[in-house]
Amino acid sequence: MILFRNGNKTKTLNAFHIISLLEGFNLSSLFEEKKREEKEEIRFATTKSPETMVAKLESVATEMKFMVDKTGDESSLRMKRNKIGRKGRLGIMAEIWAVAPSLVVVEVKKSSGDTLEYNRFCSKQLRPALKDIVWTSGYESTPAGVVGCIN
Amino acid sequence: MSQCLEGVRHLFASLLRCCDLDKQPRGLEDPEILARETVFSVSEIEALYELFKKISSAVIDDGLINKEEFQLALFKTNKKESLFADRVFDLFDTKHNGILGFEEFARALSVFHPNAPIDDKIEFSFQLYDLKQQGFIERQEVKQMVVATLAESGMNLSDDVIESIIDKTFEEADTKHDGKIDKEEWRSLVLRHPSLLKNMTLQYLKDITTTFPSFVFHSRVEDT
Repeated sequence: MILFRNGNKTKTLNAFHIISLLEGFNLSSLFEEKKREEKEEIRFATTKSPETMVAKLESVATEMKFMVDKTGDESSLRMKRNKIGRKGRLGIMAEIWAVAPSLVVVEVKKSSGDTLEYNRFCSKQLRPALKDIVWTSGYESTPAGVVGCIN
Repeated sequence: MSQCLEGVRHLFASLLRCCDLDKQPRGLEDPEILARETVFSVSEIEALYELFKKISSAVIDDGLINKEEFQLALFKTNKKESLFADRVFDLFDTKHNGILGFEEFARALSVFHPNAPIDDKIEFSFQLYDLKQQGFIERQEVKQMVVATLAESGMNLSDDVIESIIDKTFEEADTKHDGKIDKEEWRSLVLRHPSLLKNMTLQYLKDITTTFPSFVFHSRVEDT
């Protein structure tokens, strides 16, 4: 079992996690108008270690004036923008999954705040900042403009 | 007199249902019955019906969802084939006639409601992954699903890595060491890793009455 250790908690991943996590099997698109490529979730793979990812996300967050909250689950990061936006402070949650020894999957979602602000944040700030650590598997860039980005 | 007619109408309605005229698309006749037999409330059933109408009229406006319309609803394109869409459609299609009526649609989605019993979710997910429907999940089936999933996500892992992930999965899951995961083993696995059932819950279903407002008013119905 691949373990991701950060502090006391571990997040282990098995084949069924991969199937249910990354996959095309998600009925929520029945309720959504937009194509999957335009969804707010960002998922990408990286060959950096989980610890490196946590550190990188923290530094990105601080640079962009987010406050990081690590009181929850050890393999997820919550951050809130210091500035108050249209619907309160923009909140982001990042979850980090270890799939294989050299492969980590990160999933970034909006947890609070205005969706438009979140989309703008993703395209203008988050994606460019993460570009150098996103793992490419030989695929062309997606419509979202990030190479190797899942969905 | 009107009470008598009402009784006769109900009698005919239930007779029609017994005769299994599922090729005849019906309007939403008795939301109360579906509400009683699923976790949905009457107004949620009505809202679900609005969604159903939308999906079922996409290609052929016949009040039924065919495979193409299902794919369209899921992927916003009918050009995409998916192992999971196929499995999910089959599981929804309890009458095995290649189309989904509203009843099948509602009963299946009921399992995905946040309030649905976890046992239903465990059962559904087990059947979903039991590709060949043999009553157990084989290693080959797991590999097929992992490969399909990775391909769909644009990720390319080497066969060695995939094999080792599956090895470790079976090490943990296959407590009887017979090379297969049966229902009991699946259940234990899932209870140890509740996040495996994450995709068996659609939060959207809780807010469905606001997403799909229906304009049918049932003055005699109390919503608890």
